[in-house]
Amino acid sequence: MRCKKAKELISPYMDGELSEGERKMIESHMKDCGNCRAEFEEIQHLHNLVAGAERFNAPYGFSTRILANQETKTLRNVLLVPLFARFAGMVAVLMIIGIGIVSGRFIGRSFSFQKAGNIAALFSLDIFEPTPPDSVGGVYLAMTEARDEE
Amino acid sequence: MNKASDLSLINKFKNGDVSAFEEIILKYQDRIYNVCRYMLGNEDDADDAAQDTFIKAYRNLSDFRPDSSLYTWLYRIAVNTCLDYKKRPFFASIFGGTREDDEVVSELPSNEPSPERIYESKQTGHALRAGLKQLSEKFRTILILKEIEGLSYEEIADVLDISIGTVKSRISRARKELKQQMKKIMEQK
Repeated sequence: MRCKKAKELISPYMDGELSEGERKMIESHMKDCGNCRAEFEEIQHLHNLVAGAERFNAPYGFSTRILANQETKTLRNVLLVPLFARFAGMVAVLMIIGIGIVSGRFIGRSFSFQKAGNIAALFSLDIFEPTPPDSVGGVYLAMTEARDEE
Repeated sequence: MNKASDLSLINKFKNGDVSAFEEIILKYQDRIYNVCRYMLGNEDDADDAAQDTFIKAYRNLSDFRPDSSLYTWLYRIAVNTCLDYKKRPFFASIFGGTREDDEVVSELPSNEPSPERIYESKQTGHALRAGLKQLSEKFRTILILKEIEGLSYEEIADVLDISIGTVKSRISRARKELKQQMKKIMEQK
């Protein structure tokens, strides 16, 4: 292995990201090459330095502030409303339409049993008897008719 | 970072259990804040960017695809949010200085360090931060994810949406560049 290729592999070698074959090749190369070994040690030193750098933790109350944020509040409210409540309006409209269709078909079917004449009669005033026999008017009419006959 | 427990939290959230999202925040807030802090270099912007990251996650969690890990997804949002912050025209004018570089390293690795060790550590910490700051955005981002967050090449490829080959070569070049920058800074002292 040449130094140019070895130097490309030093960094992934240190990170444990090489295949078994590549790892063996670079280790064998570094045994004989002082330059590449020195470079590896420098990179390793830098790696230890950066990896040991101070870590910053989220400030106190961080999660509370996110959850109190207006946008998450709004989104949370949307999430909390149950599905049936969100679609209640749509369901109500669909139910009204459904009831309308069913009752429309039922009425239509009952009309189909009537004859055309009956249908016309339904809308005619002739079917109304002005003085049904058992009514006061009917009795009065019967009495006046009987008197006229006499 | 257990993928199964993350998926369980996501499913709970999708079924309307909002407390699952609070668990997600508590689980990843330190990592996300740390990335933002290193990328932006100051407390206030890091705090805002980390909050924005979780708000964006909240908004889009219902569309999250389980073929990706939750934390790499969060890292991706955080990195993009920080890059957006840096594009703001006033960002450079306000925070382009060396405010962060002048801060004292508050946590030292060894127990009861000597004054010389403290000085040395401060100097190295300063050089490291200043060196990171000198790097291009691409190099700084990849080094933060690799060295500070300890992500694997595959995870970095997922976060940055690049190939593993690109990750490999970019990390290698970024380390060389950081080494040179730190050398320059130490020589100036």
